[in-house]
Amino acid sequence: MADLSKVGTEYPPITWEIERGKIREFAKAIGDFDPIYQDKEAAIKAGYEDTPAPPTFLTVPMMWCDKMPAVINDLKINFMMVLHGEEEYEYYRQMYPGDVITGTPKVTRMEEKTSKSGAKMDMVTLEVLYTNQKGEKVAKARSLLVERK
Amino acid sequence: MAEELYFEDVNVGDAVPELVKGPLQKLQHVMYAGASGDFNPLHTDDDFAKAVGMKDGVIAHGMLIMGFVGQAVAAWIPKKNLKKFGVRFAGMTKPGNTITVTGTVTDKRVEDGDNIIAGTVAAKDENGDVKVTGKFEASLPSRS
Repeated sequence: MADLSKVGTEYPPITWEIERGKIREFAKAIGDFDPIYQDKEAAIKAGYEDTPAPPTFLTVPMMWCDKMPAVINDLKINFMMVLHGEEEYEYYRQMYPGDVITGTPKVTRMEEKTSKSGAKMDMVTLEVLYTNQKGEKVAKARSLLVERK
Repeated sequence: MAEELYFEDVNVGDAVPELVKGPLQKLQHVMYAGASGDFNPLHTDDDFAKAVGMKDGVIAHGMLIMGFVGQAVAAWIPKKNLKKFGVRFAGMTKPGNTITVTGTVTDKRVEDGDNIIAGTVAAKDENGDVKVTGKFEASLPSRS
């Protein structure tokens, strides 16, 4: 059961280097063969500086950074009972190969809800605002985790 | 690749071109696990999935389905113009499902000098069961 007193907690930053190969691999795994993700020249022709990260790419630093288990533990969430309820992004700038992004995960909202069927759930909202190596804001990711009780 | 899209050429009620994905294969779950770093065995190991109550075995990563929706949106609206994209996960997707992504432009406005369009999106399977609903917002260039 989530510890609802943890709202407002910030966790150690995620730092992640955006790699050309990972952009290509991620797009291919989705089955998105848009050449802007595969080929720098095609991306430049389409108005980008290089192959941009696809729209849902920010899940990569979140899942590969190895920091989420500690966050889940600290929030006292039973991982086996967690559903991903919502995911939302705001984009401020493109992310390109070689960029190094940093973001601090923050718990912005925690509340208990009761579903129509009467089941109780804890709703946990986690936000990460990422900046790049120049200190420019690149994107904000917001995830809603639902813990069934 | 999305062609340049101009504010003047988009209207409320316009459809996001439909995207059909699948039938989904378990192999894609493995590829997505490796690419995204989400190695929850619920998506790749039938024995594990059955042990935690999925009678037919593995289910797709919700984020993979969001990825399909992002593909559909960015195939029409150039990714560089996309400002917001969010989804709610509404149902589980299984191997064999064919996912169709649809969407509609619901709003068009000028805000602080930006030409904004906004819309809703949904991903459904071959039976019409909703997997994901969502919304997007983009800032488009003007022809003038």
